[in-house]
Amino acid sequence: MNTDNVYPKVREIIADVLAFEEDEIQRDGSLVEDYNAESIDFLDLVYQLEREFKIKIPRGMIEQEARRGLSNEEFADHGRLTDKGLEKLKGYLSEVPEDRFTPRMQVSLIPTLFTPETFCKIVVRELEGSEQAASD
Amino acid sequence: MFHFVDQILEHEPGRHALGVKHVTPGDTFVQSTGTGPRTLLSCIVGEALGQLGAWTVMDAKDFAVRPVADVVGEVAITGHATIGDSILLDTTIDSVTDEAVFYHAVASVDGTAILALENALGPLLPIEEFNDPDELRRRLTRICRPGLQDALLHPRVGDPGAFDASFDEVLSFEGGRKATAVRRLTGGETFLADHFPRKPVLPLSLLLESLLQLGQKLLGDGGTAYFPIAARKVKMGRFVEPGVSLEAKIRVLERNAESAWLRFRCEVDGARVCVGEAEYSTVPGERR
Repeated sequence: MNTDNVYPKVREIIADVLAFEEDEIQRDGSLVEDYNAESIDFLDLVYQLEREFKIKIPRGMIEQEARRGLSNEEFADHGRLTDKGLEKLKGYLSEVPEDRFTPRMQVSLIPTLFTPETFCKIVVRELEGSEQAASD
Repeated sequence: MFHFVDQILEHEPGRHALGVKHVTPGDTFVQSTGTGPRTLLSCIVGEALGQLGAWTVMDAKDFAVRPVADVVGEVAITGHATIGDSILLDTTIDSVTDEAVFYHAVASVDGTAILALENALGPLLPIEEFNDPDELRRRLTRICRPGLQDALLHPRVGDPGAFDASFDEVLSFEGGRKATAVRRLTGGETFLADHFPRKPVLPLSLLLESLLQLGQKLLGDGGTAYFPIAARKVKMGRFVEPGVSLEAKIRVLERNAESAWLRFRCEVDGARVCVGEAEYSTVPGERR
């Protein structure tokens, strides 16, 4: 399974949650900057994805997984990403265009980087995780 | 008073609750619909369902957090409650996380559904910012009573007249097409005393009622009466506090001889506060 398989449905849900037409949604668009997503929209979006794909998306999952292998101090310093943290985040959010990352960016602004593709990756990962758990 | 659950008949904290709202002559939120009997505003029925969900979640979370604001996938309006009716409120919690509650609910009168909420979500925030948790605990104890009580035990005394759902000023109005209107929250509105004591903010239910009524005027401008039968994708993402001026924009997406759709968006200082869609029919309570 890859993100192409889930993208049509993810795009439909994102368009519905953010009150846009489906054809206005770009796969690498920023949900916050381009589609005005706010915190309540992310709650709504995660819930709709969980319902549609019958998965559970752990809260704070992106930040936790992005920092895997780094201590809290190595990842961020006074609420801002360290150089190491930034590189780790870039690797994890590889679908996000490079120019949207800024040095020393605030950890609280990580959601501004999320794109529809970010959520496709999460859905695929969780679907594969649940398939794996079912086969174990 | 902005409490609409008069009694809780059954209560399984964090999962499900059955409650009752009596519609009584002194109720602030009853309205006259032309020649018909006075009915409780539909959005208040929705508010009652949400409040019942809030009680069961607050109890499950030991009154540490409460749901506020809302996202509602769909509100289906299929009937009305008139004075003397006892509305049975049935709210089911689909899931609760540390961040939010997800639920669906239905209100009925004498076994007939009058309003349903589907796919509703309420973010959970620290209760201390909004209410005195001990006061809420005491209130919950008072209203949790098995066995349906008579509506006469719940008179609304001293409510200062009917609620006016109209906007303060209509800035533009193109019949059948679009309208822009403004509502200013002064801080003197009686509902703010309960919503919420420590942080007075405009309830989504009252804003939605105002929007549905303005939409009705917009659609009815050609002479045919349209009645709201559903609202979809309703989302309130920010608080509207006293002193601010809320601007509502309504745009008709489609209107034909039987039904109509419109979209609304409310802003404060250019920032999105509430968005959604509404469906109307020329026959009350009838879906396409």
